[in-house]
Amino acid sequence: MTPTTSTTSMPPATTAAVASRRTASRARRRHRRRVLVLAGACLVALFALLTVSLTTGEMPMSAPTALRALLGLGDAGDVLVVQQFRAPRAVAAVVAGAGLGAAGCVLQRLFRNPLASPDVMGMTGGASLGAVALLAAGASQTLVPVGALAGGLVAALLLGAFAWRSGLAVTRLVLTGLAVQAGLAAAVNLMIVRFPTELAGSALQWTTGSVYGRTWTQVWGAGAAMVVALAATLALHRGLAVLDLGDDSAGALGLRTSRARLRLLFLAVVLASLAAALAGPVTFVALAVPHIVRFLTGPPTVASPVLAALTGAVLLLASDLVVQHLLPVEGLPVGAVTATLGAPWLLVLMFRQSAPARREHV
Amino acid sequence: MTTADQLAAHGLDLRYGDRLVVGGLDLTLPGGAVTAIVGPNACGKSTLLRGLSRLLAPAAGRVTLDGADIHRMSARALALRMGLLPQQPVTPEAITVEALVRLGRYPHQRLLSPWSAADQRAVDEALERTGTAGLRDHPVDQLSGGQRQRAWIALALAQDTELLLLDEPTTFLDLRHQLDVLDLVAALHAEAGRTVVMVLHDLGQAARYADHMVVLKDGRLAATGAPADVLDADLVKSVFDVDCRVIPDPETGTPLVIPKAGAVRHSAVSA
Repeated sequence: MTPTTSTTSMPPATTAAVASRRTASRARRRHRRRVLVLAGACLVALFALLTVSLTTGEMPMSAPTALRALLGLGDAGDVLVVQQFRAPRAVAAVVAGAGLGAAGCVLQRLFRNPLASPDVMGMTGGASLGAVALLAAGASQTLVPVGALAGGLVAALLLGAFAWRSGLAVTRLVLTGLAVQAGLAAAVNLMIVRFPTELAGSALQWTTGSVYGRTWTQVWGAGAAMVVALAATLALHRGLAVLDLGDDSAGALGLRTSRARLRLLFLAVVLASLAAALAGPVTFVALAVPHIVRFLTGPPTVASPVLAALTGAVLLLASDLVVQHLLPVEGLPVGAVTATLGAPWLLVLMFRQSAPARREHV
Repeated sequence: MTTADQLAAHGLDLRYGDRLVVGGLDLTLPGGAVTAIVGPNACGKSTLLRGLSRLLAPAAGRVTLDGADIHRMSARALALRMGLLPQQPVTPEAITVEALVRLGRYPHQRLLSPWSAADQRAVDEALERTGTAGLRDHPVDQLSGGQRQRAWIALALAQDTELLLLDEPTTFLDLRHQLDVLDLVAALHAEAGRTVVMVLHDLGQAARYADHMVVLKDGRLAATGAPADVLDADLVKSVFDVDCRVIPDPETGTPLVIPKAGAVRHSAVSA
């Protein structure tokens, strides 16, 4: 409020308005910069990790060689290794990671609960069971996403039947989800023992989560569906912000709250189930990614699901590379790494949840 | 007063589960006016406001806006005509004042349509009008009660509706901030011609700031009309069970309720 000679001629209200608009753009610009930095960092990391995953392995090759092999040029052996083994595996990790990150982001916001995530709430387990059941019945690999989706939805319904009536109390939801998840995981194990020939070779994928041995057929189907689901998530995101205002305010703003919630929940199940169709019941990624995004860029905005998808992709691809190249144990599934990281993370979150200091709504 | 933006209840029953909260209500709220809904605690004031705004479906009867049943309108179409500030709105964690107010533009936005210049103008105007422009980057949960209430009113203003429903907008505020909010409401009506319907506790404030008054008792209409015509000692006795005198407000001439001194206080003085 120290007008210079040039602004004294303006009416005071206008000066104040201009000044406040200037500070607004500064604050928003700061947030936008953080979002762009994280998005850029994720893209660079993805590019670097993809390069590593195409070039390293039992047949190491230079980046240009790997790139040419990817396009079908050069040594036939290189082409086979890159096109048929390394590339689909890496893309599967990226797609599944993106789906898990976005699903966790939507669920945590929807339930206003930092513990909400498809692997804690049983959706991942349901999707795995659905996929395994279909494979055991002799269905082809292309139908796996369909089975996963059906299983994920059934798990969500189960969770709803058990926990919805209690008003979705935080601890009840998590405990019920963990119980549902455990039951479904047991059922998956049972199926694998019961149908050893049909499920031969894929046991690790469906019990622990792995992207080993993915084929392009699987990756394309689930990947295309994932792109559609991510676009829908982005389109519905505005409703998520309005839901944060509580049911009365959201209703007064013209949002049909129950319908909006069901749609978003359905989308989260689709995202998580497609991820499970590619990678099995991978834990930790969906739970941790929203926290990472929040830590780096602040409270959720419209950019959050995009950032969560990118961060999830980086996290899962990096974990898969750790499994392949950095650990002394051969043939470990990526789910083993994420589960190892996830268990202590879940504990920390649970302790923080039960701490008495909670934010108050007024 | 005009005939546009006229909200009316016809044989309205509102229930929570088995409990009938508002029963058989016939009511017309004048358009272009400020209406105050008053009554004792738990008389159904807030419930009526939720019923009038479509947040609660009627168990029987209808609510109409200019003759059209609001439950037959689309949620969005109604949100373009009517805004509501709940009694205790939920503030999202760490949201800034401007981000909160921007959500008021939700019914104006289409799927995939970007934030328009008109949206930004409406938000800027709402911030200016409520005196929260200087706070636009502040987190709402760190504001004082009065500032927070103004930020929420700004959200309702950004929605840019002819009708504004406010549920006890002055509760939890000190006298200064109560008057700020009520003066803001009066200005909205006087300058922008908005129709306001608000639930109030203080009868004197209701009489001062409202053109029209609705008095509820046990979910039924006890009286309705201009404050000067409605508010008298008999009504206050029958609705609030309080013996009082009603005198003209020395400032405005509107009715002012002065409760008679109670027995306890007499004995305390004489002891």
